[in-house]
Amino acid sequence: MMQERYETEFIFKYWLNFKNVFVDFIIIIIINTLIALAVDAIRHDNNFLLNFVVSQSFGLAVSLMILLSLLIFRPQTWKSLLFIAFIDICLGVFVGLQICIFILQYFFHIVIDLKIHGLGLTFMTSGIILSSIIFYFFMTKLRLKYRSEMIEQEKIKHAAMEKEYLSANLKMLQAQIEPHFLFNTLSNILSLIDTQPAKGKSMLLDLTKILRTSLSRTMPEQTTLSQEISMIEAYLHIQKIRMDERLNYEIDVPDNIRQYSFPPMLLQPLVENAIKHGLEPKVEGGEIVIRATEENNILTIKVADTGLGFSDFDKAGVGIANVRKRLGLLFGEKGRLIIEENKPHGVQATIEVPINDL
Amino acid sequence: MIYRAIIADDEKELRTYLKNMLAETWPELEICGEAVNGREALEMVDAFAPQIAFLDIKMPGLSGLDVAKNIAGICRIVFVTAFDQYAVEAFEREAVDYLVKPVTKKRLVQTIHRLKKQLQSSPEPQAGLAEMITQLLANLQINASAEYLQWIKTQHKENVRLIPVEEVDYFQAEDKYTLVITAKEEALIKKSIKELSRELDPQKFWQIHRGTIVNVSRIEMVGRSLTGRGILKLKNRSNSLTVSRQYLHLFKQM
Repeated sequence: MMQERYETEFIFKYWLNFKNVFVDFIIIIIINTLIALAVDAIRHDNNFLLNFVVSQSFGLAVSLMILLSLLIFRPQTWKSLLFIAFIDICLGVFVGLQICIFILQYFFHIVIDLKIHGLGLTFMTSGIILSSIIFYFFMTKLRLKYRSEMIEQEKIKHAAMEKEYLSANLKMLQAQIEPHFLFNTLSNILSLIDTQPAKGKSMLLDLTKILRTSLSRTMPEQTTLSQEISMIEAYLHIQKIRMDERLNYEIDVPDNIRQYSFPPMLLQPLVENAIKHGLEPKVEGGEIVIRATEENNILTIKVADTGLGFSDFDKAGVGIANVRKRLGLLFGEKGRLIIEENKPHGVQATIEVPINDL
Repeated sequence: MIYRAIIADDEKELRTYLKNMLAETWPELEICGEAVNGREALEMVDAFAPQIAFLDIKMPGLSGLDVAKNIAGICRIVFVTAFDQYAVEAFEREAVDYLVKPVTKKRLVQTIHRLKKQLQSSPEPQAGLAEMITQLLANLQINASAEYLQWIKTQHKENVRLIPVEEVDYFQAEDKYTLVITAKEEALIKKSIKELSRELDPQKFWQIHRGTIVNVSRIEMVGRSLTGRGILKLKNRSNSLTVSRQYLHLFKQM
């Protein structure tokens, strides 16, 4: 019911536009001419002028009546619209007949006797049938137009929603600085101030860097990989002080790769995860290796740890799921996250993204 | 009497910090051991029989709470935690001593004062402490449990891979094994459909057949075959799945 109303509403709006009306009338005139030509070809009576005048006056009279009555009555259901159109067609054909008789007589001095060969009846019935077919053609055209416009609108709405989701999601991720990490780091700094002030100072600077990135609300959606790596370095510096000899790390990202732009908060959660669920809970600790390579236009970044492996991984769900979701939204099928067992122990997380889409 | 204490924390700086603070506020206290993880803490309690143990909660291996459960009757316990809303609430409720990192002098003095008083009135740790800790652990475990299966472990060439359950379209029984079908791949796993149906979130995964569990979010359409069984069409998949009669009720409200 609502759908019907939207469709009929769409038709009014469409015909309230002068340009659309103009184009449609040109189309009708062309169709009328074609009909005249066709009749001329069938009947071989070499009276194209007569056929032309008849079909134009029929066609234009019917079209005008339909246009005006639809704009005046504004039917809201298809049933009432078709009813009005049918009456218009009958009336229009009748009026068109009168007009064409007048024109032929007045301008061309041709007198038509409608009673000969049932000419009047032929004119009327063929006029009604042809008008109905043409009307049907126009309605179908408009309905198709309506559908495609709706689909377009849906698409735009969808795209806007996804974009909104992405940025909301990003903001949420950024704001997620873990209180546990924060307070532990602060305690470390507090202790280092007395014992090793230089070390404490550098830790404070690293924490500042992380906080600035996490808390800034106007962070650009696109940053370079180098920015992301320096954030990760700050994070690992802090963790290295906290975990001491239990943590070793290596970052192997060539300079040319660091220049690529790269969405923020895709890599960081993987590193955090490797620490939180891999190395921190492991008594001996272990190593993290971050390695980036490019091949066939695909940028591959691996975060491998030698931690506890999958046993503690069930708790890692949300962060990883977020990375996966963002990869999907940003790169579609081409963005991948693979979580594998690292040999001989630990977890290896691999991000693959198409370089051209970065 | 000179009291002995151990400090257990996996972070070296924080052990040093607490030790220095204690030296300042309770110079008579002898720190007889510094443990870097839960297991070491247990060994030190055995070896040195301290009256007091300062236990960090989050430690590799055994957590501070696990250690506490084992030594509750032996010595007095002060938990140290960086930030743990649940734990702090539980401590308050069970009236267990705790310190929040970064430890402040004022708070530490309060704790020391209370410890001294307890130690003087009864040299043995109060009997109720063990039950208190058990209660505490039970409370904290409630918050941690009730997790559904998040990952499916699959063999991929020589590597073991984790597939998040949200990516699975459906599970199909295959003899004793189960076929995991995602948009991108198929993999066999050893878990049976029966086990999976117990471990997966029933809100998100429905068993629709003796041998099939489907990811609800992947369902596009439900139809009905001539024989009265349901037919499921999944998003972006050409094949359809059969819903046996006994599971048809799942779709009744749709």
